[in-house]
Amino acid sequence: MSTRPAVLDPEPWVFPAAQEHLLPNGVRLLLHDLPGQYVLSLRVVVPGSLADEPEGLEGISSMTARLLDEGTAEHGPEEFAELMERHGMALGAGVSDGGLLVDVDVPQAHLPTAARLLTEALAHPVFPEAEVRRILRGRLAEIEQERASAAHRAAREVAATLWDPRDRASRPAAGTVESIGRITREAVVEHHARRVGPQDATVVLAGDLTGTAALEVLTATLGAWDAPRHEPGSRPVAPRPAADRARVVVVDRPGSVQTEIAVSCPGPDRSTPHGWAPHPVLAFVVGGSPNARLDAVLREEKGYTYGVRASFRPRVAGGSFVTSGSVRSEVTGEALELLLGILTDAREGFTPAELRSGVDFVGKTAPGRYATADAVADETAALALEGLPLDFTTRNLAALRELGVEDLDTAYRRVATGEWTVVLVGDAASIVPALEGRVPGPVTTVAR
Amino acid sequence: MPLDYPVHRRTLPNGLRVVVSPDHTVPNVTLNLWVGVGSRHEQAGRTGFAHLFEHLMFQGSRNVRSGEHFEALMAEGGRLNATTWFDRTNYFETVPKGALELALWLEADRHAHLLDALTQENLDNQRDVVKEEKRQRYDNQPYGTALIDVYATVFPEGHPYHHPTIGSMEDLDAAGLEDVHAFFRRYYAPDNTVVTLCGDVEPGEGFALVERYFGGIESRAEEPRPTLAQLEPLTAPVRVERREQVPNDRLHVAFRLPVDGTDELVAATVALDCLGGLSTSRLVRRLVRREQSAVGAHATAWGFVDGVSLGFVVIDAAPDADPADLEAALVEELERLAADGPTEAELEASIAQSERAWLSALASQEERADLLSRYALLHDDPELVNTHLDRVRAVTAERVVEVTRRWLRPESRAVVAYLDASGDADATEAVA
Repeated sequence: MSTRPAVLDPEPWVFPAAQEHLLPNGVRLLLHDLPGQYVLSLRVVVPGSLADEPEGLEGISSMTARLLDEGTAEHGPEEFAELMERHGMALGAGVSDGGLLVDVDVPQAHLPTAARLLTEALAHPVFPEAEVRRILRGRLAEIEQERASAAHRAAREVAATLWDPRDRASRPAAGTVESIGRITREAVVEHHARRVGPQDATVVLAGDLTGTAALEVLTATLGAWDAPRHEPGSRPVAPRPAADRARVVVVDRPGSVQTEIAVSCPGPDRSTPHGWAPHPVLAFVVGGSPNARLDAVLREEKGYTYGVRASFRPRVAGGSFVTSGSVRSEVTGEALELLLGILTDAREGFTPAELRSGVDFVGKTAPGRYATADAVADETAALALEGLPLDFTTRNLAALRELGVEDLDTAYRRVATGEWTVVLVGDAASIVPALEGRVPGPVTTVAR
Repeated sequence: MPLDYPVHRRTLPNGLRVVVSPDHTVPNVTLNLWVGVGSRHEQAGRTGFAHLFEHLMFQGSRNVRSGEHFEALMAEGGRLNATTWFDRTNYFETVPKGALELALWLEADRHAHLLDALTQENLDNQRDVVKEEKRQRYDNQPYGTALIDVYATVFPEGHPYHHPTIGSMEDLDAAGLEDVHAFFRRYYAPDNTVVTLCGDVEPGEGFALVERYFGGIESRAEEPRPTLAQLEPLTAPVRVERREQVPNDRLHVAFRLPVDGTDELVAATVALDCLGGLSTSRLVRRLVRREQSAVGAHATAWGFVDGVSLGFVVIDAAPDADPADLEAALVEELERLAADGPTEAELEASIAQSERAWLSALASQEERADLLSRYALLHDDPELVNTHLDRVRAVTAERVVEVTRRWLRPESRAVVAYLDASGDADATEAVA
């Protein structure tokens, strides 16, 4: 069959609607009934700001989150872990710049147990001293693991260079060796009492809810969650960019066979008054596929990299535009010059063909991207944390279809001003000389 | 009780096995192809070739220019890629229903007529890309080459699983156009391929569409050699130690296991869960929670079809811990499990976690399609997606004891230790 078949337009699609309830304790409950999704995804979000962490104890929000299921008033840590596993339950908890997010996945039949255990973890964790010490030690080991990974090390240096050093965003969300060293059990107990509670919280449950009595189950569990000392967290504010962010920082890894490149600048969050819709399209046409501008040259023409990706990374407040990938050490200078040239040239404008391909990709992949209970629950929980309306996802898809080339051009020029924060993780002795005349701004080298 | 995902299958006259599994909850269809060739089929001197070949499948075919496969499908809302592993190569795309025929046409063009568009330039370019992939994912990662050492240590020289899918730089350099031609003619054939459609499509329509685009491709696969006999467990421990700049000492302790598709492998997986696959596993309770001599302990089993599977435990040492003590603790726990068997709670936890993981995988159309292709290609039985959990639930404590005594004996272990060399004068030295 050599005749290329025609493509039929996709059917109209909207993001699954949630049924909204208010639990007795004021918690907002959002239910997504998704037939055929037999593993239920339960999410709890408690808005807050990392800036609320006590002075000197950065990372305490993350550590508190990780300790929620390490022992409760009702169950010891090992007993709790065993109960979760025997009911097929998986629990994760972490924080972003906008608050606490706890996620639970569990087969349909075990929802009552999962809801009960999750409520215990949120309301009555006891933070045994031994578990606190273990989790803090685990974070120290994780810091070493992150330092050893070129991509993680680059991300950390980007944050430190891009954002004002007085700003919380310039330092790791989960804390540093120094701040972790100052955290005590008492501080965790106090942080939990003040910052983890039902005020302003949202619970999301997605999956096949047939026969689960979800509303009754959640009313009796998370609806009875009480935290008398809970103070609602402050609204996060967008981080301030560093005044001297337009520069090159080389993180020295002697003998490295590749250089990890990360190029960044401040970007919008999803509530930007200019509209979010153009940004995922820009990320796609600049660096979202092997045919995007970056990989068309750096991968498919030059063979310098396995792939370079560009993406907008919205926080709850503010965000960044990051281009990253790794190239073999010998071509670092040339690859970086090409990469910066492509990012800068894109300010000249995009083509109608690029607009169409990006709009079609982002718009037509939506049904598949939101096809599972966990993907739907994650998106609705993100909307809750970001304070966005529940029809945001569907309205954003409608706005996407209305985009013109000038919308892409305007949005790109607003973000990509040419003031790049460039971080290179690689063998400084060989790559620094190769940067001569190829990069704007000063070059500094720091230890790994 | 088995699950009830619909599974319809048919074999076309040219030998192509087709599976259709309707699911109308999302207006998408996943097209997933498994070709019966992976790194286990590679010849000495050409390791990494199956994967390099997979990259070339995106560089154009008779009616499709280089890069067009990605470009055309992504512009229609397709999400797609391909992967290579020991036993197979797979190609997949999830597209809105209206783009299914385009996807089938593009796949059929490259699976039938790749060689028409093959050039030295494309081969050289993708060789460079794959070498960067190797550097990024293996050479420039802490512990990135540990599993390569595991394969080489636990499987004998010359065995199909002795070398990794990514291959070696030398062998990638040695690959020429004539290798691509020979490989395509030998392995890329309808009678060595499974096509699965999962999603918004009815069986009749799905079979007719696959027939329309793939029915004309001639069968030509060589008769595959019979799979190798089951490899017996190691009879004495084997060790490799590497001193490198790593964040902490890490032990990989590997075992030969029964082949994929056997009840014994399922039971061995439960045994590994009891040791390190769960957050309540024995090694986690003892080393991570109580003694705190490790910061992490994990265990995994990978099923393979050619005479052996792989099981391994990974232990990350705490800063002041002696790896020898960790290894000794593992040996003790192996002996204890072999002597006493799993507790009822361990068995229940392993089964419950397997259930959630399995149902989560099947919740996604993409992963469901992939599992259907897997079971059709490797075991000629796509219905296994519905019956696999029954097999897991049937595992008894006695079976776990049996497989532990036979396959997870301390003397059958292969240990690959990555030890922190910061401070050592001469890093990256191998002591075998």
